[in-house]
Formats: sequence, C-alpha cells, structure tokens
Amino acid sequence: MELKTFRGGIHPPYQKEATANRATVEISLPAEVVIPMQQHVGAPDSPTVSVGDRVEAGQKIGTSEAFISAPVHASVSGTVKAIEDRPDFTGALVQSVVITPDPGQPSKWTDKRDTSNLSADQIRDIAKEAGLVGLGGAAFPTYVKLSPPEGKPIDTVIINGCECEPFLTCDHRLMLERTDDLIAGLKLMMKAVGAQRGYIGVEANKMDAADTLTAKLAGEAGIDVSILEVKYPEGAEKMLIDAITGRRVPPGKLPSEVGVLVQNVGTAVALQDAASTGKPVIDRVITVTGPGIKEPKNMLVKVGTSIEHLIEQCGGFAGTPGKVIMGGPMTGWAQKDLTAAVVKGTSGVVVFDSASVDVEEEQRCVGCDKCLDACPMFLMPNFIVKYAKVGKWEMADKFGVNDCFECGCCSYVCPSGISHIAYVRKAKAELTAAEKK
Amino acid sequence: MASQDLIVSSPPHLREKGLMGSAMRDVAIALIPLIAVSIGFFRLYAVVNLAVAVVTAILCELVMRAIMGKKANIGDFSAIVTGLLLALLLPPAVPLWWVVIGVVIAVAIVKELMGGLGSNLFNPALFGFATLMIMARVPLQVSYNLGSIDGVTTATPLTFIGVGSGPLSGFRPGYWDLFFGHAGGALGEVSVLAILVGAAYLIYKGHVTWQIPASILGTCFVLSAILGENPLYFILAGGLMLGAFFMATDWVTSPDNRWAQIVYGVLIGVLVVVIRLYAAPVGAVAFSILIGNAFAPLLDRMFVRKKFGEVKAVA
Ligand code: SF4
Ligand code: SF4
Repeated sequence: MELKTFRGGIHPPYQKEATANRATVEISLPAEVVIPMQQHVGAPDSPTVSVGDRVEAGQKIGTSEAFISAPVHASVSGTVKAIEDRPDFTGALVQSVVITPDPGQPSKWTDKRDTSNLSADQIRDIAKEAGLVGLGGAAFPTYVKLSPPEGKPIDTVIINGCECEPFLTCDHRLMLERTDDLIAGLKLMMKAVGAQRGYIGVEANKMDAADTLTAKLAGEAGIDVSILEVKYPEGAEKMLIDAITGRRVPPGKLPSEVGVLVQNVGTAVALQDAASTGKPVIDRVITVTGPGIKEPKNMLVKVGTSIEHLIEQCGGFAGTPGKVIMGGPMTGWAQKDLTAAVVKGTSGVVVFDSASVDVEEEQRCVGCDKCLDACPMFLMPNFIVKYAKVGKWEMADKFGVNDCFECGCCSYVCPSGISHIAYVRKAKAELTAAEKK
Repeated sequence: MASQDLIVSSPPHLREKGLMGSAMRDVAIALIPLIAVSIGFFRLYAVVNLAVAVVTAILCELVMRAIMGKKANIGDFSAIVTGLLLALLLPPAVPLWWVVIGVVIAVAIVKELMGGLGSNLFNPALFGFATLMIMARVPLQVSYNLGSIDGVTTATPLTFIGVGSGPLSGFRPGYWDLFFGHAGGALGEVSVLAILVGAAYLIYKGHVTWQIPASILGTCFVLSAILGENPLYFILAGGLMLGAFFMATDWVTSPDNRWAQIVYGVLIGVLVVVIRLYAAPVGAVAFSILIGNAFAPLLDRMFVRKKFGEVKAVA
C-alpha cells in the first residue's frame, strides 16, 4: 500500500512500545489543582471567583470578552485556596486559581443526549462554552476555527491521529478507546463548518487504531481513514493537509485558505463529550513515559495537576532524572522543577534519566545541508541561525524565520548540535518588536 | 524529590547521535577504493605519502587544539580526511617534507587557525596543495612525471590536453586506462572508476548531492567540446573527477542552496576549461575550486529557497 506523506521530515526512534498497549487509567486526586487563566492562544481570562469560594467541578472560573480566547473551568469540586501568579510549563508567570479538592468528587456528565440534531451555531456555542482548544498542543480556541472566515468555504475536515511525536500514545489510546465519540466529534465539526469530506489521518504504526476506525466507518459516506507514512512531523497541520489532500497552504496563511480544517483526536472526542453531556474541558488523557519513569502510563488527568503528582502516580523516577519534558521530546518544554501544572494542551510528560540525556556542545555549522533536506517548510535553517547569530533579523526574515513552526527536524539531523529553535524564537521576537515600533 | 539538577534546554530533546563523526568517516570510507588502486600502482610511494599525511594531520590538529585550549576532535575524522585528500592530490614521488608542509598549511592554518571546522572559506586540502604549487611550481611539475613503479617516466595524462588531434594525440592514454587505472599524475588520479564507486557511496549516504559534480562535469564536457577538445578525455583525465566529487562538494566551502550549487558548479567548470587550456593544466582543478569557494557565500546570498506552499510541488 502506498502511504501518504509530505516532503522532508525525519525518522526519529519512536519508542512508543512502553505505553502503546496500556489502557488509559484514572489516577488519584492531587492535593491541589492549579488552573492557569491562560491555557490557550489569545487573550488571558480573568478569574470570576474569589479566594475562599466553593466551586463545583465544571464551573466556569475564568472568562474573557476577547474573540480569540477560551474560558476555563474548575477541574474539581473544592475550595479556592489562592489566586496568584504561578509559573506555567513555559516558565512564564500566569495568574492561576488554586483549588483544594474535596475528598469525594461528585460523579457528573453521565447522561448522554443525542447530538445529531445540533445546528452549526449550537455546535460552535458548545465548543466555546466548554473552553475547547486544540488539545494536540497548539491550544488554539476551537470555536474560532469552527467559524470559517467569509468567502473561504471549508470542504474538508481532517482529524489528526498521527501522533508523530516520539513516546506519546495518548491519541492512539483515544482512537482505540473512544472510537465512536471520535467519529461523532468529527461529524459535529463537519457540520459546524459545512464540510462534506472527513478524514482521519493515522500513521502506519497504529494499524490497530486504523482498522478499528475503518470497521466503524463501514457504510459511512464521506469519511475515510487515511494511512500515512510514519514520519515526523506528519501531524503538523500543513504537512498533514499536503499528505492527505495534496493542497499546500501558502506561507503565512491558515488551512482555511485551501478549504481545510484540521483538529486533533482529543479535540474531537472532547467536543463530542461537551455536546452529549455538557462536560467542559477539565481533564484529558496524557502519556507519562520515558526511560526515566518507573511505570509508564496513559492516564486521565485533571487540568491543574502538577507534574510531580503524575510522576508519583507512575511509581516515581527510574534512576536519577536528567530531563523532564512537558509535551513530546521534539517540541516539548524542559522543566526546571516539577511544579508546573497540566493544561488543556498538555499531551504528555517525558522523562529522561541523567544517563540518557546527552548534552552536546554546539559546534559551528559545517554547511552539510542536512537541515535543508529535513525542513518540511523548505527553509534554510542554517541561514536563519547564521543571520540570527549576528543580529541581522531582516535577513533571517528573508530566509523565512516566520514560516518556521519549530518542529525541530533541523536540529535533530544537525551534526554540529545546533539548537535552531532557540535562534528562531529570538529572531521572531525581535522581528515582532521591530514591527510594533 | 530531587529536582534541582534537571537540565533545561530548548527543543528538540532528541538528536540523531554521532552524526559528525559518521559523516566524515563515510568520506574516508568512500576514499578507500581510490586509495587501494593508488597503492596498487604506486606501492610504497603511495603508502608512505598517505601515512605521512594522515599522521601529520592528526598531530597538527592535536597541537593546534592544545595551543588554543580546545578539546581535540580526532573522532570527527575531518583532519584525517583532509590529510588523505592532500596526499591524493600530490604525485607519488614528491619529497616527503612537501607532504608535511602541505598538511600543516591545510590543517593547522586553514582549518584550525581560522576557527576550526565550519569557519574556513577555502577547502583546506586544496589550499595546502595550491600553496605548494605556488612555492614549488617547477619541481612539482617534474615529479608529476615520475609516475610508475619501476621508475619509468610516465607523463601525466594532462600533458595531452590542448594538443587536440595533432601528432601527439596518438600517445595519450586511452579512456579505459583512465577509467580503470593508469599510473600517471597524482595518487588520486589513477582511476576514475574508483572515484565513482566512492562518490556513489557518498551520494547514497546523503552526504553529497548531484548538483555540484553534475554541473561541473557537464560544463567541462560541453565547453571543452565547443573549444575543439575531446570532451570525454577532458573530463576523465587529471584530477577533475576527484575534485568534482570529493573537493568541490566539501560541505563547508560550497554553497548550501541547490540553485547556488549549480551556478557554483558551472563557474568551476568554466574556470577549469579556461585554466587548463590557456594557462596550466596541472592544478587547474584546484585553483578553479578555490576560486569557486571564494564565491560560495555570495552565491548563497543571491538565492532564497522557495518555501513550502510558495510553488506547486516540485517533487
Ligand atoms: S527551520 Fe523550523 S520548520 Fe524548518 S525544520 Fe527547523 S524547526 Fe522545523
Ligand atoms: S544541519 Fe547543522 S551543520 Fe548542517 S547545514 Fe544545517 S545547521 Fe549547518
């Protein structure tokens, strides 16, 4: 079978064996949950509760008037202990509501209603009220994506089930364990944007998921499973659209430009949950794994749970921890301590023990061009770095720094151990600052 | 829980391991067929020259790194490759101290003193060779003619370039000699086949792309034909094959953009033809590539790669 794919990219070791076959488990409640007022792309929320208030799980505790924003909800029933700035997973201080959970939590959202008669507007409202954002990590508010701009009709919705980041298996588990809800969520999205075609893109290393989906979709018109080559970053929005539809989103443009909407597996399931039971985004499945974790797991986790608690739930560290990454190993954030909380966009925690972290000194670029061949955006990462190093931001711009989506393929293949993304971020910040002036 | 020693660095947190060492090691591996044929023809001459060059290269790197207080990096094979290439550029009967001087210039000065691998504008081996050419032009010319093992003088095949189909042309070596093995000229000029085998390996490994060698050889072929030379002989003779596949393609000193690489190849090709025909055949390839090196940064600035989505698929 010919597998679909894009041009460029890399083949890192996937290392998903540890958790791919482990069913999702629930974990115990943490002593406190920390809910940041900004877990999404867009304007931050303002708290709508005060210290000492009692809150119910699923109650809205932060909102914003801005178009691009998403409300946040209490992930547990309990008491508001504090409202203060806490460092999030990027290290930035973000205003957060800290809640002490009650020992017993009410069971809610068990009644399901039929979602097939919802209108496009109702679906958008549900997504907005549920605080739904892209759960693949991008955390862009979903209802904005479900509101296609005037004159740019969307004919195709793609569910991203690639999970091309090494180690992570949470989307894989969702495809197996929540197959029906995933398909129902996709249908809601197609209805919201008026698309006739639906695809679920799955990498060829998850054939069990692909087969399950294909079986469920038998006789379903307009929705297909698309099997993709196992390659990173197959699940990047633009790459995925290219692989499945052959359409290429122009530089600086959104997928709606070519009539496509891409959503992650978790987002589709969460949309169906919100539509059928009214449950907002207060928990999610994440994978806690890596050579530095004793018992790697896929787990259902309340938003606001600290990394430390997750690691305890996995039996603690194996060996001395060297690097703790929030997210996948290609794009995730290295943590300096274990206090950061799981947010809606967190897909996993990957721990390397100190023996399996390699700290390589950055050498000079040797012009091997390996990064050119790896870059899925067809940029010249070595030139971006070269100009960023000497502060020639306009040249970095000319070589496409703003089209870089920080996938890390260039650094992965670089024999000189260059961290392109650090330079890319610096250059982007400088260019944005210069534009504002 | 111990958390204060966690390493924080920017993503990605996975890297392909030991790439630099393996890439340069692959270049050394790719040179093995050529080295083998060369030793087959020149016996001890070749063995001694290659050994002296490699040992000198390693010593230079160790000494320079020690002086500059940097970590030695022999494992990345780049000094070794430079030593091998320089020895291959020289004729077998060259005085040994020339080999030493050439390598010292290449590794100690061009490579290390200019900031280490990645900072050099010129290909180290070629620069070392070119310096020797300028220092000792006449004796070097003569020693090119001291080829074969039993001391019989064999002229470098380059002597026959520019003679067209005149009376001398009957004496030149045949294509098959050049292709499979011919004891004239430098160590690395003995067999085109051996070079192509090594080059195929490098291309297969993804270390070298076709753009540079193809544009150099194509340009030489067409231009020499236009100027009345035998084009096949022109590209098979002398160090052109070695230069096109192993030296012009040097990562550091060639352009990175694919289009820039083609322009660079055409430029070198034109220079080779002009220098060989109107100046001096020996060293023409080396000087052409060095001039090409000088233009590489400029060429890279002239082209910007087409981004994803900017054009229709060019796959
Ligand atoms: S330059 Fe950006 S888009 Fe290209 S490979 Fe590097 S990180 Fe990915
Ligand atoms: S992969 Fe690294 S060494 Fe090679 S060209 Fe790119 S930046 Fe330079």
